[in-house]
Amino acid sequence: CEDEFLEKPAIGALSDEVLANEAGVEKLLIGAYAALDGIGIGNWETDPSNWVYGSVAGGEAHKGSDGADQPAINPIATFNVDPSNGFLNLKWRAMYEGITRANSVLSLLEVAEGISEGEKQRIAGEARFLRGHYYFELKKMFNMVPWIDETTTDFNQPNNVDIWPNIEEDFKFAMENLPNSQPQVGRANKWAAASYLGKTYLYQQEFAEAKAIFDDVIANGVTSNGLTYGLVDKFKDNWDASAENNKESVFAVQMVANDGTNTIANGNMGQMLNFPYNSPFRCCGFYQPTLDLANSYQTTAQGFPMVDNYNIDPLKNDQGITSDKAFVPDQQSVDPRLDWTVGRRGIPFLDWGLHPGQAWIREQSSAGPYSAKKFIYWQATADTYADQSSWAPGSAINVLIIRFADVLLMAAEAEAQLGNFAQAQEYVNMVRARADRPENIVTTYVDPSEPLDGFTDVPAANYNVEPYPEGYFAGLGKEEALEAIYFERKLELALEGHRFFDLVRWGKAAEKLNAFFDYEGALLPDVEGGFFTTGKNEYFPIPQRQIDLQTVGGESVLTQNPGF
Amino acid sequence: CLSQSPVQAGTTVADINASGHYAADAMMFTNEALRQAVPVSGRVVGDDGQGVPGATVMVKGTTIGTATDANGNFTLNVPNGTGTLVVSFIGYKRQEVPINNRSSINISLATDARALEEVVVTGYATQEKKDLTGAVAVVDVSEMTKQPEAQVTSMLQGRAAGVTVLGSGQPGAAQQVRIRGFNTFGNNSPLYVVDGVPTQNINDINPNDIASMQVLKDAGSASIYGSRAANGVIIITTKRGKEKVRVQYDGYYGTQRPPEGNVWDLANPQEMAELNFRVAPTEALYGSGANPVLPDYLAVGRNTGLMEGDPRVDPSLYNVNPLYTGGSGELGSFYRIVRANKEGTNWFEEVFNPAPIQSHNVAVSGGGDMGSFYFSANYFDQEGALMNTFYERYTVRANSTYNVTKNIRIGENLAYSIINDRQIGGGENVINMAYREQTIIPVYDIMGNFAGSFGTGLGNARNPVAQLARIGNNNGLGNRLFGNVFAEVDFLDNFTARTSFGGEMYSNSYRSFTYPEYENAENNTVNQFNQSAANGYNWTWTNTLTYKNTFNDIHELGVVVGTEAYNNFWNNLGGSTQGYFSFDPNFTTLSTGSGTPTNYSGRGEDALFSLIGRLDYNLMDKYLLGLVVRRDGSSRFGPDNRYGVFPAVSAGWRISEESFMQVGWITDLKIRGGYGVMGNQLNVDPGNAFTTYGSNRQFSFYDIDGTNMLTTEGFRKSRIGNPGAKWETNINSNIGIDATLFNGKIDLTADYYVKEIQDLLFNPEFPGTAGAATVPFVNIGQMRNSGIDASVTGHIEATSDLRFDITGILTTYNNEILKISNGAQNFDLEQRRFNGSNIIRNRVGDAMSSFFGYQIEGFWDSEDEIMEANELAEEATGDTAAIYQTGIGLGRFRYADTDGDGIITPDDRVILGSPNPDFTYGLNITATYKNFDFSTFIYGSQGNDIWNQVKWWTDFYPNFQGAKSRTAVYNAWTPENRDAIAPIQENVGSFSTSNVPNSYYVEDGSYLRMKNVQLGYTLPAALISKYGMGSLRVYVQAANLFTITNYSGIDPEISGGTTAFGIDEGNYPNMRQYLVGLNVSF
Repeated sequence: CEDEFLEKPAIGALSDEVLANEAGVEKLLIGAYAALDGIGIGNWETDPSNWVYGSVAGGEAHKGSDGADQPAINPIATFNVDPSNGFLNLKWRAMYEGITRANSVLSLLEVAEGISEGEKQRIAGEARFLRGHYYFELKKMFNMVPWIDETTTDFNQPNNVDIWPNIEEDFKFAMENLPNSQPQVGRANKWAAASYLGKTYLYQQEFAEAKAIFDDVIANGVTSNGLTYGLVDKFKDNWDASAENNKESVFAVQMVANDGTNTIANGNMGQMLNFPYNSPFRCCGFYQPTLDLANSYQTTAQGFPMVDNYNIDPLKNDQGITSDKAFVPDQQSVDPRLDWTVGRRGIPFLDWGLHPGQAWIREQSSAGPYSAKKFIYWQATADTYADQSSWAPGSAINVLIIRFADVLLMAAEAEAQLGNFAQAQEYVNMVRARADRPENIVTTYVDPSEPLDGFTDVPAANYNVEPYPEGYFAGLGKEEALEAIYFERKLELALEGHRFFDLVRWGKAAEKLNAFFDYEGALLPDVEGGFFTTGKNEYFPIPQRQIDLQTVGGESVLTQNPGF
Repeated sequence: CLSQSPVQAGTTVADINASGHYAADAMMFTNEALRQAVPVSGRVVGDDGQGVPGATVMVKGTTIGTATDANGNFTLNVPNGTGTLVVSFIGYKRQEVPINNRSSINISLATDARALEEVVVTGYATQEKKDLTGAVAVVDVSEMTKQPEAQVTSMLQGRAAGVTVLGSGQPGAAQQVRIRGFNTFGNNSPLYVVDGVPTQNINDINPNDIASMQVLKDAGSASIYGSRAANGVIIITTKRGKEKVRVQYDGYYGTQRPPEGNVWDLANPQEMAELNFRVAPTEALYGSGANPVLPDYLAVGRNTGLMEGDPRVDPSLYNVNPLYTGGSGELGSFYRIVRANKEGTNWFEEVFNPAPIQSHNVAVSGGGDMGSFYFSANYFDQEGALMNTFYERYTVRANSTYNVTKNIRIGENLAYSIINDRQIGGGENVINMAYREQTIIPVYDIMGNFAGSFGTGLGNARNPVAQLARIGNNNGLGNRLFGNVFAEVDFLDNFTARTSFGGEMYSNSYRSFTYPEYENAENNTVNQFNQSAANGYNWTWTNTLTYKNTFNDIHELGVVVGTEAYNNFWNNLGGSTQGYFSFDPNFTTLSTGSGTPTNYSGRGEDALFSLIGRLDYNLMDKYLLGLVVRRDGSSRFGPDNRYGVFPAVSAGWRISEESFMQVGWITDLKIRGGYGVMGNQLNVDPGNAFTTYGSNRQFSFYDIDGTNMLTTEGFRKSRIGNPGAKWETNINSNIGIDATLFNGKIDLTADYYVKEIQDLLFNPEFPGTAGAATVPFVNIGQMRNSGIDASVTGHIEATSDLRFDITGILTTYNNEILKISNGAQNFDLEQRRFNGSNIIRNRVGDAMSSFFGYQIEGFWDSEDEIMEANELAEEATGDTAAIYQTGIGLGRFRYADTDGDGIITPDDRVILGSPNPDFTYGLNITATYKNFDFSTFIYGSQGNDIWNQVKWWTDFYPNFQGAKSRTAVYNAWTPENRDAIAPIQENVGSFSTSNVPNSYYVEDGSYLRMKNVQLGYTLPAALISKYGMGSLRVYVQAANLFTITNYSGIDPEISGGTTAFGIDEGNYPNMRQYLVGLNVSF
C-alpha cells in the first residue's frame, strides 16, 4: 500500500513501448524532419539557411543592425571567433538533436513490430538521409566530430575519426532504399539522397564519383512530388511560398505560416531578424549584403561577370545619403539576379515599393546600404504566407538545402575538374540562360506609390546577362574555367548560406576573404580587421562547452581544431 | 479530582501550542497525594495586575501542579505545607515561591519575552529554550512585523541569524530566502511549517496572525523533516485565543516615495546629439551641419527630424488608430506627428510615482474552559510606485480548540486568502525601457497618442509609459485555503496521541491582453488575449504519539514517534487567442477572438510517506541529548532508491549548572553541538525516472505535406530517465553556545556550522551528442557551506521609565561548489546581451553565482602601447600575425593576460566578483519611555558585488541607439581625456569594449539601510477606559529612510535566482515609506 501510494507516473509523455510500431515510428520520423529548422535549440544561431556561417562568414553579408546587437556574429564575420562563442555551441547541439531524432527512428524501427520490410527500408532511408544531412552540416562546420548512431549508448565519443565515409554510407543507403517519389512532398526521395551523395563526393574532391552521381541525377532525377528536375523559369519562384516545391526543389526545409501555434517557430524563425528596418516588416535590419557582393553582379558589355575586377569600379550606392535626398541608381549593366538578391535604393523591393535606402537601414554607418531580398515574402500574398504573430515576421518560404541550380553548378565543377569543359560550360549556361529569361528582369512599378497595382515592362535597371559562347571554358583553361564556375555559384546562390563552405573546399578562402576584408573593411567598420588564417579558419572551433562536457578524468575526449 | 477538572482543562487550552502538543507536562494526582493534601490557592497576575490565565503552577520536584483559570486563580493540593511553587507561563519570567505553610499565595509574574523557559515549537515537539540542542533561531515576531511589507519573508530580512533574504521593491514580488547558504543548484527555499502543516508557500500568510516563528537551521533541529529539511525549516505558529474576549485592531496607512531626479544620470537631448555627432552622425535626426541641431519634430509620417513650418508637419495628415486591428498593413498607413521634447523626458519619473500602502487588521480572540478561538480579518493593499502595479490581499483566519473532555481536544487552524495583483517581470522589463528610451522622445504625440522610438536614429526601446498603460487590464487572482484539523488525546498519564490532517487547496488565474503597438521602432502588430489558470491541493496527514516523563527527578525524557503522509496534486491550463474585433476588456475572452486559439494544460502528482522519531533527554537540567530520525519514501525516485533515512544527534551541556561554574555574571551558559543528515528532493521532477517521448507543435511538428499552413504531428525523445537517482545527503555539523549573562541583561547565541552536500541531485548538461531531451537529475554534485550565525540581545533599564532592548544579528556563509559533473567544471548562466558569453559562472572551487569575464587593466592610450603589446604577443606565440587582444584599439579596454601566455584568450577570463556577501547584519533597537516607544531597525550587507548591467546600455554608444549616460558623453576615453571611466565611444561593438563580459560592470554592492524607524505613543489607560478601550497606541513610521552605499545604481538590494543573482538591469527599487498607524484593543 505504501509503495502503491508512492507510484506516480509521468504525465503527458509516452514510453518507447507505445511508439514501437509503424504509426509511432512514423511520428518519430516526422520529429526528425522537424529538427531541420533548428528551432528550439537556437533561433538564428541554428537557422538551416546558415546565413551566419555560410553567408556572413563568406563575405556576402554584414551582420547588420546596431553595432552590438547579436555581438557573437561579429567575431564569426571577421574570423576572430573563439571556442567559447555561443552560436557554435547551439549549432552543434541542434545538429546532434537532429541526429538523436533520426537515431530514435532507427533504433525503434529495429524493435517495432508489424512493419513491412519495404516500409522499414523507406523509413530507414529517410532517417538516414536526415542523419546524413545533420552530419554533413557538422562536418563542414567543424570537420572532426564524434559519430553517434542508433547503436551508440555512450555519448561521450571522441572526434578522432573522419566521418565522411559514414555520411556517404547514409546517403548511399538512402539513395538505394528510397522511392523515386513520395506521397508527401516534404519527404526526402531517392534523388535528394543522390544529389546529397554527389555533394558529399564533391566536398571530398572525389570528382569522378561525383560526376557519375550527378549525371544520373541530371538525367533521371525527379522531385518527391514527381516533377522532373529542372530550373524554374522564374528565379524568384525559389523563394515564393506560392510557387515552392517546384521542379528545382531537390530538398527543402518546409516552412509554414499561421500554423495555429501563434508563434513563428515553424515559419523561418531563424531568419526573423533579416528584414529591412523601420519598414513594413518592422524588424530587425540584420543580414545586409556586402558592397562586394553587390559589385559582383556588374556585367561587361557582353553580359559576362567581371570575375576578377568587379570591385575596381564599384556599383554606385546610397551610402551616406538620407532618404529624403535625391539618388539615382547606377546605370552600369548588372546581372538581373542582383535585384532578386540585394535590396537597393530606388529598385522595386518585390511588391513592397521602391527600396527607400537609408530609411530602411538600421545603421548605415556600420553595415552599409543594402537589404537582403531572397527570403522576403510578397505583399500581395502576405496574409497567407507571412506570419506576424511575433515581434518580427515569420514566413512560409522554404529553405532550400539543395536546389537543382546548385546541382548543375556542382556537376559543372566536377566536369571541369575532370577536364570536361564543354559539359561544365553547358551546365553553367543552363543557369545563366535562366537568369537571362525575360521573366527574371525586375521591372518598374505602374505606380511607385501603389506597388500592388503591378509592374510595367520597363526594366528597373540596366540588366545584361548572357550565357558564355561555345568553347569559352575550354579557352579559359581549367583554373579560369573553375573560377568562372565558382563565380557563377556566388551569383546564383548568394545569401543561401553556401559561400564560406564553398570557399573552403575550393581552397580559396584565404585569397577571396582577405581580399574582401581589404576592400570592405576599408569602407565599413564592422568587418575592419577581419583576417582569414590558412590552416586555422577553414573550420570553426569545436565548441568549448562540448569539450568541457566531454571531459573524463580531467581530459576531454574531444580534440580542438588546429589553431584554436 | 473531579473538582480539579475545569482547571486542568484550562491548562490544556492555554498551553496547547499550534502543533497541539502540551507545553507543560500532563498532570494527574495520585491517591497518595490526595490523602495528605493541603489546599493552597492564589492568583497569578502579570505586570499589569491582570490575572494570567493558563499559567502553570507546580510543586517543585513533583508532578503535582495545576494551571490558573481564566482569571488567573488557582487552587492546588500540596503534599504538605512546605515546598516551593514554580510558576511559569510563556512570555513571563519563571518564578519560584516557597509555600511556607501559607494557604493563599498571590504571585506576580514579570514579563520576559526571552525567558529561558520560553517554550518554542520545534519539529513535532516543543522544548524550553534552555533545553534546545539544535541551532534554532527564535524570531522576535512583534519587531519583525513592524516592517510594512506585503510578505512575511520580506520582514524576515535581518531578523534571524543565518537567514539571508533578498528582494525587490515590487509589491508582492517573491523573495529569495536562504538559510545558511546554498544547498542545491535548484530550489533553495526553506520548508515552512505552519501550525504543523508543511508548505512551500507563505506568501499569503497574514503577518498579524503570527504568534511565533522559529528557524531550524541545523540537522539536529531540522532532520526530523528529513527530505525536506536541507534548505532549513521555518516553523510558524499562528495565534490562539486566551483569557476573556478581546478585540484588537491594527492598521496603518502610508505613502511610498520613489527616488527623484536623473537617477541613471542620463544625457539630455542636446548632450545626446553632441555624442551622436562625435561618433556617427544621424543626419536624419540632427541635420547635416557641422554641429547637431535638435529637430522640432521627431517622426512625421515616415520622415524623421523636421523643423517647424515644414509642410509635412500638417496635423490634417495625422493618422494613428491606437487600437488598430489591421495588422502590419494598417500600421504601415499611419502618419505620426511627434514633437521633440528638447528639455528631455525623465522616463523614470514618468513611470514611478508616490503610491499608497495600507493595512487593516481586526482580530477577535478569547478562551475559556470549553476551548479557545481566534478570528482575524486582514486587508492589505500596496499600490506599486511603478505605474499600474499593485498587490492586494484579503485574509481571514479562524483558529479554534474545543475541549471535548478533560483529555480530548479537537481543533482547527484555517486561513483563507485572496490575492489580487499585477506585477512586472524581471530581466529586460519596463524599467529597462525607462533608461533605454531616448530622452528627446516625449511621452505623447501631438494628438495625445503615445510617442516612441519610431523614426531614424531613435533606437528601438519601447515607450515604458505605453507599456505600463497597456498592462492596465491585466489581472492575477489567487486564492488559497490553508490549515488543518487536529485531535489530541492524553492517556496513561504520560502519553499524548495526536492526529492532524492539513494542507491546502488553491487556485489562481491570470489574464492579460497584448495590445498592438504603433509608436516604437519595432512594433508588435498582433492583439492577443491570454488566460491561464492553475489549481491544486496537497494534504499532509500526521499521526504522532508523544511520551513525556521524569524519572527520579533528574531524568526528563520526551519521545515522539509518528507517521506522516503527503500527497500533492496540481493542474494547470491556459490559452491564447488573437484577432479581436474590439479590445474592450469586457469583450476579450479566449472564446471571442477571430484568430486560432491555442491551449495547453498540464498536471502532476507526487507523494511522500514518512516515519518519524525523536527523543529528547535531559539529565539533571545539565546534560541534554536530542536524537531525531526520519525515514522518507518519495514518489520522485525509482523503486530501488525510494526510501531514505535522515538521522541526527545533538547534545548540550549547561555548564552554568555545574558547581564549578557558579560565576555571578553568568546566568546561564550552554554549549551544544549536533551532527546529522538532511535531504532534499524538491528539485527532482516526478518524471525523473522515466525516458519518455513527447510532442510539441513548435518543435516536433513538421509540414511534411508542404501545405505552407499545416503541420503534422511528430514525436521526439523528450526526457532521458534516471531510474537510479537516490537521496542526497546533506551532512551537517553544528557547534554553538547559548548564554544569558548579567541576570538576563544579555542574551547571546552563536553557532558555527559546516554543511557538506554529497550526492547532490543535479541535472548537469549532457554532451550535445546526447541530444536535447530534458536531462535527468543524477547524484553528482557536491557543495559545502560553512559560516557563523550570531545574535546578541541586551536589555538595559536606564531608569525605571526608560528601557532599551537592543538586538544585533550577524549572518555569514561561505559557499563552495565542490563538484558539478564528471565532465564540465562549471555551468554558465545569464548571457543577457552578451549573446553566448555568460555573466555568471558557477564553477568548482567558487561560490554560486560568481561573476566571470575579462579583467580590465586600463585603456589603450597610444598606438605605441598597442604595437608594443602586439610585438610581445608575437614573441610569446611565435606567430607573426599575432595580436595581443581581439579588437585592440585606441581608447578600448586593455584586458589582463591572467594566464601569462602573451595574448588574450578565453582562458584569461577570471572570477570578477561575487554577489554573496561577506556578512549581513541587522540591528534592532527599541526604547520605551513612559508611554512612548521607539524602535529602529538597521540592516546591512557587506562585501557583496553587483553586476550593473544598466551600464551596458547607457555607457556604450553601439549598444543600441538608446539613451546614453552622461558618463558616455563626458567621461569616455578620447585622446584628450585618457583618465576616463568609459571607453572610446564608437558605432561598432567590439570584443575590447562591450561585446563580452568584463570587469567594467562589477561594483561593490555593500550597503547599510535604515529599514525602519517607528515612534509610538500609548494613551494612558485612564483616559481611554471610559470609552471601553483596553489600550490605544498611535505611531508614526518611516521605512527605508536612507541607504548608505557606494553602488551607483538605484538600489543595491538585488535579488535573482539560486544560481544567478546580483545582476541589476533595472531593478524595482525599494521605496521610502512614511506611515501612520493605530493599535486599539477592546
